[in-house]
This record gives sequence, structure tokens and C-alpha cells, in this order.
Amino acid sequence: MRNSPEGLRNTLLIARRQLGAIRQDGTVLFLLGLVVALGLVAVLGARHHESNEAGQRARYQGIVDEQWVDQPERHPHRVVHYGFLVFRDQAPLEFVDPGVSDYTGTSIFLEGHRQNTANFGEARHSTGTSRFGRLTPASVLALLLPLLVVVAGFAAVSAEREGGTLGVLLTQGATPAQILAGKVLATGAVGVLATLPVALAVAVTAGPGLDSAASALRLGTLAAIYGIYLAGWVLVTVLVSAVRTSSRSALAQLLALWVVICVATPRVAASVAGALYPLPSRAELTAQVEAALNEVGDSHRPDDPFFRSLREEYLERYQVDAVEDLPVNWRGVLSRESESLTSRVFEDHRQELVEGHLRQNGVMAWAGLLSPYLAARDLSMGIAGSGPEAMEAFLAQAEAHRYTIIQRLNELHIHEIRNENDRAQRLAREHWGQFPVFGTEPPPLDGMLANRPLSLAALGLWIGLPLTGLGLARRRLALIGTERSS
Amino acid sequence: MRAWARLLALDLRRLTRSAGTAAAIILLLVLGVYVAWRAGRNVEAAQTSSTAAETAYDDQLDFLLSVYPPATDAGEVLYYLAFPAPQPPLAVSSLARGRAAVETESLRIRLLALEGQLYEHETVNPRLAAAGYLDLAFLLIALLPLFIIAVSYDLVSGEREGGTWNLVRLFAPPRRLLVAKLASRAVLVGAVAAVVMAAGALMAGVGLDGRAGWMFALVALHTVFWFALCLGVAMGNRSSTANAMILAGIWVVLTILAPAALSLANSVLHPVPEALELTVQQRQGYHEAWDLPPSATMASFYRDYPEWSDQEVPEDVFTWGWYYAMNHRGDQAARDASRAYREVLRQRDAWARRWSVFAPPLATQLALDRLARTDLMAQLDYQDAVRRFHERLKDHFFPHFFATTPIDAVVWDDVPTFEPAAPADSAARAGFPAAIILILGSGLALGVGARRARA
Repeated sequence: MRNSPEGLRNTLLIARRQLGAIRQDGTVLFLLGLVVALGLVAVLGARHHESNEAGQRARYQGIVDEQWVDQPERHPHRVVHYGFLVFRDQAPLEFVDPGVSDYTGTSIFLEGHRQNTANFGEARHSTGTSRFGRLTPASVLALLLPLLVVVAGFAAVSAEREGGTLGVLLTQGATPAQILAGKVLATGAVGVLATLPVALAVAVTAGPGLDSAASALRLGTLAAIYGIYLAGWVLVTVLVSAVRTSSRSALAQLLALWVVICVATPRVAASVAGALYPLPSRAELTAQVEAALNEVGDSHRPDDPFFRSLREEYLERYQVDAVEDLPVNWRGVLSRESESLTSRVFEDHRQELVEGHLRQNGVMAWAGLLSPYLAARDLSMGIAGSGPEAMEAFLAQAEAHRYTIIQRLNELHIHEIRNENDRAQRLAREHWGQFPVFGTEPPPLDGMLANRPLSLAALGLWIGLPLTGLGLARRRLALIGTERSS
Repeated sequence: MRAWARLLALDLRRLTRSAGTAAAIILLLVLGVYVAWRAGRNVEAAQTSSTAAETAYDDQLDFLLSVYPPATDAGEVLYYLAFPAPQPPLAVSSLARGRAAVETESLRIRLLALEGQLYEHETVNPRLAAAGYLDLAFLLIALLPLFIIAVSYDLVSGEREGGTWNLVRLFAPPRRLLVAKLASRAVLVGAVAAVVMAAGALMAGVGLDGRAGWMFALVALHTVFWFALCLGVAMGNRSSTANAMILAGIWVVLTILAPAALSLANSVLHPVPEALELTVQQRQGYHEAWDLPPSATMASFYRDYPEWSDQEVPEDVFTWGWYYAMNHRGDQAARDASRAYREVLRQRDAWARRWSVFAPPLATQLALDRLARTDLMAQLDYQDAVRRFHERLKDHFFPHFFATTPIDAVVWDDVPTFEPAAPADSAARAGFPAAIILILGSGLALGVGARRARA
């Protein structure tokens, strides 16, 4: 492309001409209005929903924290069973892209001897209408905006050819590159016009939650990802319009492409990932955990081999004849050792599940190369902080918190409770205020992007391939020009 | 008659010769067979899962009886024992998965407070779930209409633009031509749909009962609905590109936008704080009891079970009767929240169903899920069945707790077993409203199209 002022002027002229044609097109204007309206509704609705959810969770976390501190004098093992309820904090930009959060539980009950699942995700409460997910800003941007771009641009070049004006433009001195660039600019302008109000609404409504530069950075990166994704659609649209013989077949091909990329491939990929790497069902998993726990042994059970040898070890170490004479609380020791054994079993099985998820997610990442929609959504949920790794991090942090709290209680049991008349003793209330509070850290942004090389590459291809295609189409366009003018 | 058949065959050949149509047919058939194969796998997986729950119970009972001395209180061993509550899978559930991928219907229940055990879910990978589920229902309700649109958007306009309209009108009256073109497309689409449905029914082992019959009938009606829509639009005097845009727009609105917008509205209109409320209440209700005298806990226990009010537990020693009564106190504390929770979910379901009237594909989808027993209501029915099971277990074991029966005196073969949830409504009641919506929708589309064409 020549970068002369005249070339630029030609490009802009063609873009203006195309925009003029679009302004006459009722369908495009109607769709533009619809997408903008839907985008605004999505932003407001999602924001309302998320802040409602956040309020609820904060309220119940407050209640639970208070209940913990307000506990009466209790025996520490009592408190091991009383446990702790934690609620997942919302991701920084969850209202823009809820990612996988609807399918992840919002609360976990942390208690001794057990690892519970996170329950009550939004998907558990939704009816069959949620097949296409909720209407969110992300779905408007990734799913609907491409359609607008297609409708605005499918005839960009083909109509000129059908109307015989392509040859006229070429003979009047516009180069094929200038024509294509002008069409891309005009089609892109429609996309930008539709995106701006939505982006603005996101920025404004995110305001109260934007307490750090990190979130502003997240918003900026998010805008860049969707910008690239939509730019790819603009390029593909103009390319198809340039190479197809008729507007009609260009439209049919673009719509088919949209269906394949945005509707079919994500589901096929998810289904294939599930078939390639099946997960054990909940029933199988709990049965496995149960069997493994039976093997580890239980301190409550008389004559358990592991705990018998532990007793001998302690008797020898402290040179006493009976556990009642130990200077430390024997039941507390049992509880601590058994927690360390059982939590290893829980963690091993949870890790197995996490690895299964990772393998399946790997298939999804490769599928991103076929479906830039998947790649863009993958990056988008990562940046929003609602991706799978954020949810796994929540579960891992909750488990770490559980282990810390339970073992601290066991230490209190070991050192603050005497052996004789163990169960009748109580710990003073001051102890409850000294436990750490649970808080999640959203994974950092740079790690999010580094973890998704395939999705980044897919977006690169999504821009690069149609650009190359346009380069080739430019030559064909030039040929048409000479054919017509000769 | 022979001329008619020749016209039909000619048009079919013309249709399938197009590379795009041929590719779409092959793609649909390949996807259809794949989805049918997955349906078969789903049936197997559900079976495995329910067997796993049963086997785990047997294994655990054997294990406990082997390690605990025969004189151990039944209450102590029952603390570790989880009873299986597997809902026998329906073959049709594998065709319209609904929420089946997220929910488990093979729970195992301990005699402890139930509310903490009832909401376990399936081991689903959130990343896959968020991408959407591919099943036979999705293929036939969402993707097949796109194929119908692709072959019929230019039913009339294509001939007009190709300049062949006036030519063919010489040899056949336009109405017969239109009918022939429509018939050839119906044959094509119907064949694809029939192959896909037959493959699904075969691989999933679906018997031809009322539920399956209604499901297939709804899919057929839904296909007719899209043909009516296409015909209604194609009869107008518009260009092919305009028709394509209008039909694609209608598809996007009915299949994607309406459900997504309804989901958003539903979650905003019907928030579910009760889910968190009941968790907090149950835990507090149970644990508070440890700090209360046993008689206080027993008093509230007797309110629900007056038949045992003559059973007293000692105030100063631990008894298993008291322990499980404390667990019951947890469920009592959560009862209001739990009821409210189910009430909100019912409201959500009813609300979605009411508004789906305006989006026939969505109404069809919801009806298919209901027929397949994979919708929200089926899940609530299952939970109710588990509640009844838990009650029956309590009825069975509380006398043992009060009598401090040792484990060797418990007749384990007499323990109640799970009674599966029965479908709440008949197949006809689940399918009928959607059928009416589809028929009315088809009539409306044709009527509007015909009026436009005349005007």
C-alpha cells in the first residue's frame, strides 16, 4: 500500500462512499441500534446481577465471620467440626465476562476430616433458557457484533462489482489496495460505532469497583482483545466480499462462517474434550476417596495399625507408660496426624480432577485455532479474572485455609487441653478472634496472558490470515480492473 | 403425477449438486452420528455412576462391619455410612441433556443433617460447561433450522434473480412449482433429521414410549415451524440477500437472544440468596445444639417426631440419639430457607416457561428437557425423593439409636432402599403446550407471509 497523501485521500474517499451506502441501508441501521441497545441492557443487567450477588456474599461472609468470633467457650475439636464457611469473591470484571463463574460454586463449607465441594453456582439455579448463557457484555461483543459487521460489510466489494462500479473506481485511479482499505475502514467504523457505547457503559459502571490501576489495566487489555477480534471479522468480511462472485453468496458464506466459529465449534470442542478425557462421576470419585480413606486408617478406630505405632512412638519419646501421662494432649495429636493423612488423600483426588480439567482445557485451547470466538472468550475470561485458573485458585486457597485453621485448632487441642477429662474442657473465647480471615487473591494479569499462548496465537492468525488473503485478492481485483477497462 | 415426481427429482438433484448444500448435509450427518454416539456413552456413564453409588455402599458397610467390634453402637458406624440414592437413568435423558451434565442423580446420603448433603453436583469442568452443551436436541433445535434457512431463503427470489422464473413458469404453474421446490427441501431436511434421530434412538437404546414419541413429534413440528417461517419470508417480493438477513436475524433472536435475555432477566428478577441462607442456618442450627442441654434439642426434635416423645436421653452423657437429633435441628433451622429456595427455583422455571411462548424454539427446548427429565423441576423432584428417603432412614434407625442397638443386632437387609422420583407430569402434559405454540407459530408465519405476498 502506498503511503502517499493521495493514496490516503483515495482510501478515505472510498470509506466515505461506503459509509454513505451503509447509511442508506435500513437493515444495518436497525441492527446497529439493536446491538447497542442490547449491549447497554447487558451491561446494566449484568452489573446489577453481579453487584447483587457480591452484596449477598459479603453479607453472609460478614455473618459467618461474626458467628465465628462470637462462639462461646468451646472445645477446639468441637470447632474443628463447626468449621468455616467461605464465599468466593467476585472477579474484578466478572460482570463483563462471567467466564466459568456460573458453573463454579460460590460457597464452600470448610471442616475437619472432610473436603466439601463448592456449591450453588448460578448454573444450578438456572432453567433450560441458559443454553446460550446469560446476556452479558462479553456475549454481545463476541457473539452479536460479528453479525453486525458481516451485515454491514458483506456487499462492500461485491456490490461494486455487481453494479459495475468497481471498474470505474479502478480506472479513475484508485488502486485495489486503496479500495480494500477504504472498505475495511468503513466496515470497521460501523463496528467501532456499535462498540463505543457498550465500552463506555462498561467503563462507567465499572467505576465504583475500579479501585486500582490493575483494574484499569484489565479493562484496557480487554478492550484490546475485543478490538483485535472484531478487526479480524472486519477483514474476513471484506475479504469474502472481494473474492465471491455475488453479494448473495458472500453473505451466505459469511453467515455460515459465523455459525461454525461462534455456535458450532465451541460446543463440538467441549464435547470432544469431554469424550477424549472423561472425568470420573461424583459418585465414582466419592467412592474412590472413601476407599482411600479406609486404607489410611482412622484414629477413632481401635487397633488401627498406623495410630498404634504412633502411640508407641510417643510413649517412647516422652518415656511414659500410658498416653494419659503424656505432657501433650494425645487426642489432639491423633487429630492432627489424622488430618494430615486425610487431607493428603483429598488433595490427591482433587489434583487428579484438576489435571483432568487441564487436559480438557488444552483441547479447548487448540480448538481456539479453529474458532477465534473461543480464543477471544478464553482471553477475555482470563483478563476478567473469571477464567478456570481463578476458580481453581479459589478452591486451592480454600483448601489451604481449611488446613491451616484445622491444624491450628488441633495445636490448641494438643497444648491447651489436658489429657484428663479432655472433652469437658473449653477454650476461652479470646482464641476465636485470633484466626486468619479468608480472602482470595485474583491471579495476576500478566500470568493470565502468558498462560494462553495458543489463544494469543489464534487471534494473531485471525488477523494475519485475512490480511494475507486481502493481499492476494488485491491482485485479482487489479486483474478485474484491467479486464474491464481493456 | 409423473410430471410432478419428475419436477421433484430434478429439484432434489439441483439442490444436492450445490457444494455448500452437500457440505452442510455431510456435516449435519457426521455431527448427528457423533452426537448419537455420545448419547449412548451418556447412558452408560449414568449407569456406571449409579452402580458406583450402590457398590460403594456395599463395600463401605462390609468394611465397617469388619473393623468395628460387634458390640459397637449402630450410631457410631452409621456416622460413616452413606446410603445410595441413585435415580435410574432414562434413555431419553441422553438425547436432551438439559442440566444433566451439571447435576448428579446418584447422591449418597448419610444420616447427618440433610441440607448440607443435598446440593452436591456432578464433577463438571466449568470451562466445558460454559462453552455450551452439544446434544441431539441442540443439533435439531438450533442447527437444523440454519440448514432449512440455507436451502430455502431463495425459494422464489433465487429463480427471479437468476432469470429462470419466467422461463420455468412457461412449463408449470407457479404454485405447483413452489410446492415442488418446497417438497424437495422437506424431503431432504426430513431425511437428515430422521437419520439423526434414528441414530440417536438406536445408540442410546431409546424405546418408543410416550416420552420419546412426544420428543420426536416436537422435533418434527419444530422443523415444520421453520419451513413455515422460511416460506412466509420467501413469498415476499424481496431480494435473496434481504431474505437471508431476515431469516438469519429471526434465527439469532429466537435461538440465541431470547434465551440469553430471559436468563439475564430471570437472574435479576429472582435472586437466590436462600442458597447461602440455608447453608448458614443449617450449620448454626446444628452446632448451637452442642452448647445447649440435650433436653432442649430433644424438645424441638419431638415437635417433628411426637411418636418418639417418650424416648428420653440422659443429660450428662453422649448418646447417638441426641447426636442425630442435633443434626435434625440443623435441618429444622434451615427448613424455611430451604423451602424459600425451592420456591424461587419454581418461580424461575414457571417464569421462563411463560415467556418462552414468544420464542417457539425455546419453548420446544424446554419441553424436550422436561420430557427427558433433565430440567430444573426434575432436579427438584429428585431432591424431594432424596428427602423422603432420608426420612425413611431416620424412621428406621432412630429406634436403634434410642435402644443403643449394637451393629450385630441390626438387620442390614431390612434397611430401606431409595424410591426413585416419579415423573411429575405425563408426557402429553409436558409436550402439549410446546406443540400448540409451534402450530400457532407456523400458522402465524404463513398467514403474515401470504398477506404480504398478496399486498
